[in-house]
Amino acid sequence: MSGILNLILWLPVVGMIGVLVTPKGKDQLVRYISLGATALTFIVTILLYLRFDESNPNVQQVFQVPWIEQFHINYALGIDGISLPMILLTGLLFFICILSSWTITKSVKAYFALLLMLESSVFGVFMSLDFFLFYVYWEVMLLPMFFLIGIWGGENREYAAVKFFLYTFFGSIVMLVGIIALYYATGKGPDSFSILALQGGHFTDMTVNVFGTDFSFEKLFFWSMFLGFAIKVPIFPFHTWLPHAHVQAPTAVSVILAGVLLKMGTYGFLRIAFPIFPSAAVEYSTAIAILGVISVIYGAFCAMAQNDVKKLVAYSSVSHMGFVMMGLAAMTIQGMNGAVLQMFNHGTSTAMMFLMIGVIYERSHHRWIVRPDGTKGYGGIAAHLPRYTVVFIIGMFASLGLPGLSGFISEALIFLGIYQRFTTITVIAVLGLLIGAAYLLWMYKRMFFGEPSDEVKSYSDMNAREVFYMVPLCIAVIVFGVYPAPILNIMKSSVGQLVELMAQFQ
Amino acid sequence: MDYTILSIAPIFLAPFTAFVINAFFGKKLPRQGDWVSVLGIGIAFLFAFRIFIDFYSTYSTEYYIHKYFTWFDLSYGENLFKIDLGIYIDNMGAIMLLMVTGVAFFIHLFSTWYMWGDVRYGKFFTLMSLFTSGMLGLVLSDNLLSMFIFWEIMGFCSYSLIGFYFEKEKAGYASIKAFMTTRVGDVFFLLGILAIWHTVGNVSLPDIYAAIANGSFEGHTVIGISLATFAGFCIFCGTIGKSAQFPLQVWLPDAMMGPTPCSALIHAATMVAAGVYLSLRMYPLMVAGGLTPFIAMIGGITAFGAATIALIQTDLKAVLAYSTISQLGYMVLGVGVGAYNAAFMHLITHAVFKACLFLSAGSVIHSVHTQEMPEMGGLRHKLKFTWIAMWCCTLAISGVPFFSGFVSKDRILGDALYVALHAGQGFTYMIPAALGFIGAFLTPFYMCRMMFLTFHGKPRDQHVYDHCHAEHLKINQNVPLLILSIFTLGVFFSGSLTGQGFVKIFGSKNEWFKVLVASPTESLDKFAYYTREELGWSDTNEKEKPEHSEYEHQSGFAGPNHENHEGLHHAHVEGAFGSIIIVACSIFFAFLMYIRRSIDPARFVNMFSVWVKALKNKYYFDHLYIDVIIQKGLLKFNNALAWFDMGIYDRFAIDGWEAVSRVGYKSSNWFDRIVVDKIGVDGTAVATNIFNIVLRLIQSGKIQTYFIVLIFMLVTFVAVLT
Repeated sequence: MSGILNLILWLPVVGMIGVLVTPKGKDQLVRYISLGATALTFIVTILLYLRFDESNPNVQQVFQVPWIEQFHINYALGIDGISLPMILLTGLLFFICILSSWTITKSVKAYFALLLMLESSVFGVFMSLDFFLFYVYWEVMLLPMFFLIGIWGGENREYAAVKFFLYTFFGSIVMLVGIIALYYATGKGPDSFSILALQGGHFTDMTVNVFGTDFSFEKLFFWSMFLGFAIKVPIFPFHTWLPHAHVQAPTAVSVILAGVLLKMGTYGFLRIAFPIFPSAAVEYSTAIAILGVISVIYGAFCAMAQNDVKKLVAYSSVSHMGFVMMGLAAMTIQGMNGAVLQMFNHGTSTAMMFLMIGVIYERSHHRWIVRPDGTKGYGGIAAHLPRYTVVFIIGMFASLGLPGLSGFISEALIFLGIYQRFTTITVIAVLGLLIGAAYLLWMYKRMFFGEPSDEVKSYSDMNAREVFYMVPLCIAVIVFGVYPAPILNIMKSSVGQLVELMAQFQ
Repeated sequence: MDYTILSIAPIFLAPFTAFVINAFFGKKLPRQGDWVSVLGIGIAFLFAFRIFIDFYSTYSTEYYIHKYFTWFDLSYGENLFKIDLGIYIDNMGAIMLLMVTGVAFFIHLFSTWYMWGDVRYGKFFTLMSLFTSGMLGLVLSDNLLSMFIFWEIMGFCSYSLIGFYFEKEKAGYASIKAFMTTRVGDVFFLLGILAIWHTVGNVSLPDIYAAIANGSFEGHTVIGISLATFAGFCIFCGTIGKSAQFPLQVWLPDAMMGPTPCSALIHAATMVAAGVYLSLRMYPLMVAGGLTPFIAMIGGITAFGAATIALIQTDLKAVLAYSTISQLGYMVLGVGVGAYNAAFMHLITHAVFKACLFLSAGSVIHSVHTQEMPEMGGLRHKLKFTWIAMWCCTLAISGVPFFSGFVSKDRILGDALYVALHAGQGFTYMIPAALGFIGAFLTPFYMCRMMFLTFHGKPRDQHVYDHCHAEHLKINQNVPLLILSIFTLGVFFSGSLTGQGFVKIFGSKNEWFKVLVASPTESLDKFAYYTREELGWSDTNEKEKPEHSEYEHQSGFAGPNHENHEGLHHAHVEGAFGSIIIVACSIFFAFLMYIRRSIDPARFVNMFSVWVKALKNKYYFDHLYIDVIIQKGLLKFNNALAWFDMGIYDRFAIDGWEAVSRVGYKSSNWFDRIVVDKIGVDGTAVATNIFNIVLRLIQSGKIQTYFIVLIFMLVTFVAVLT
């Protein structure tokens, strides 16, 4: 029994309550309370890392109490090597997001309260060992996101918020069907919602009768889980909510969305879809790999055509998450480790990109690389904002997969993993690296090269606060690019165990 | 000599530390930290020199250093996987290290003069240090993965330095072009690494050699091609990109947008040569994959094609850029015809004289503030030392006897001639060899043309001439040039052509280069029984060597087999005499045209007007790639795809469900009214109604209501559950 997970889970809620009871008009106090809550949470996640046993592939720090006893639903928390990197990432990114939201002035109280609520629900998803609890947090997370996009977003925020909400909600409804099916399939027993007990391929031979036809239980409900998670990742063809949501969302929400929420989808595959339905996962791994490679190429091509820099990075997320899916589909030790590492690395590098876009947006109030009338939106930033340029370059090249920065190792591992199973797909997917470099450099060229215009000359370089919150990400991107062993050591036992499980069904 | 990590690592770490120091504190240091970079590369040079002396005094082709450590280990249970990084130095590596550190040192020194006063003086040295450490890392690497890592880091530095003057739009285009073009090759390189990794189990060089020797590559295919061919081709594509070979040569001329010292270091001496270095390292794979005719052809085409474009250039740096492409073509040709030793020697000699040529060009450009040769002329009176140094290098690159270029290039040509005529290979190698010889005629011509136009004759632009200050001996301007130009003498690389005993500095080892740099194909049996053990930081030299090997050349390729000295020697004599005559004619021709003025170049321009037009357009490659493939193909496709994604797919396939649900809602409403007669509403209607309420609340803009809704929903949620 351990309380540390509860501490991480509920500290943001305490912060939220603190924010809500703050008297009206004390906006600065609200900011400091939220900052304190997220900082404290991040420190506790570090403590959690220090207490983590890397050699143990199983779930650790388990905390379990009954919640709704007549349905055998438990309040069960625990972490392993797959969820810990995500928890560390979440702790870091929320702390940074509070800092980056310092300039928000519209309904400060509500904004920070929702952000803290979001943090708690994200932690809940990554910690839940009970399927029902998982689902509750998965749904609760939608609400603050819906309001954060719908209220603090851009011009077309309502459309984007509704789209995000409905799309994800649709996915989770389908997932809920799967959860209920599992509940009945296990005979409503005491383990019917326990994620750990469900794992291991207990449903391989089971059939289910739908509309008078017998279906393999495992295959049918693998796809129901698949849909729920694939929309969240998002994989092609379920990706179109993402560009809308990103373009309309405020900076911090974009960072959280790309940095953490998308990983919930792939985390779902790792924690639920693959281990609970291993033989279906193995059988359909080719399809997943193909969808992954389509996401990589399709996202990259679409990104290249964008004139809105945030939309460009949104499509690049589709492309990069496609790599994660490929790594998962590889089901080899390199591919799976690479996928989890890519989840972490994409979290840091894409967060950098969105934060940097936010920084320039605060100065320019637009995000056009090329305006609709064909004129340049920026141009010459490099000459005028040297500090901004350096940080932007680090983020951009990390995202591009330059060796020495974090993105490369995860992509290389994914490629190594998938080459062993799907050679042709690998040959196509490396094209994604090429286009990936093209759209980023092309964007950089248009925004940063040339003589600065008068408008660009009026911008101020990054201030101390902005530099302060970018530094941890820069360090993460560089350190884990040069020496990825610390992160890989966390995950390798748990991932290795999953790979062994999958290998039994190949 | 006993090596520890401390006696090798500083070669990489000294410039890297300089980079880190300059990146963080460069602005606060005196002189913006240029001395840190110079010091870093100087230390690296000393360590490299020590290693070189060790290898030179050991004087054995069998001697090598191999140390490695585990980068990370993902093994779990029976799934074993780890990545080792390490250091592998053999004779070739030792020579390469000495060359890179030496040339880089002088280029750094020169930069303190050339770049002085630049707005981003400190940034320049920061990037140069990073680049140098990347190049040295590549040479030290024992495996393809870390080679790839450093390869890309160099690509990044090249990108940043080409775009160094980022206020210019053109610099932006040039930098992106360089990065993307080389990345095309890099992507293939990565694929090659994957293919090898999958077969061999890791990508360490000795392991790959062992796998080739043991035949592990045989019997596998990748997408219908034999594995060795696929992997070899992919790796060679890396060379094509990085060494600016046909058809990816387009980036190197544009790369001249960068500061001249960076052109000297990156785009002449080291990074572009790293491509050839990679091919040499992977030479056994190229042979096993039967790729040598293809490689020779690429090299021949590049050597010839770039030389022709160089003929009509008026920009001083552009001439040098095309000559670099052409010379790299010779090296690749050398790899293709099996002139392993000569190709590597040309890499080294070329690095020295081309670095010196670029630095001299920098010295000229900095003095006259123009790069256009038609505005120069007569500068020998003012820039005496530059003039001397540049002539030495010109003679070297032209292949004049007693200079280094003669020694190396003529060995390549001799081997090519041998393979084309005497090795029984039919016509396979004839075209590359012929292209090589025609290129050998063009090289002295365009180089001498450049020299004549720049330094000789009368000043064509008096204003430019008058503003040029007379040159004095300066430690960071022309002294590096003069020192480098000393090493354009052939005697340092080969004793035989200078007459035995002409210079006794090398004693009995006067053919050291030829003896030491042995092709891994010839010594493959050394690796045939190589097994990887956990050695950590210890020497592997003590390994037991097999008495005999079962390895045979797999492709049956009879390159210049050095046991067959008779035929080879014959071809070399033919080649040498042939090329001496060619060079003499060529120089004389240039002399008549640009000094005597007895032949008017315009006559040739008129005679070959179509060809000259093609040359001016660089054989239309830029047009093909940028206007046709990228503008008309890729960008249009992207725009169409993005339009499809948002305009068609998202609008109809996704948002279309809204219309569907509205129809469903209406029809169910109708169903309710008419059939159920308002007894109840179905789930859809409830959901839609709630949704409408939520939407209206959003539009009402009152934050407090949201919270009420939120809490209400949560409470309902929990209440429904419990």
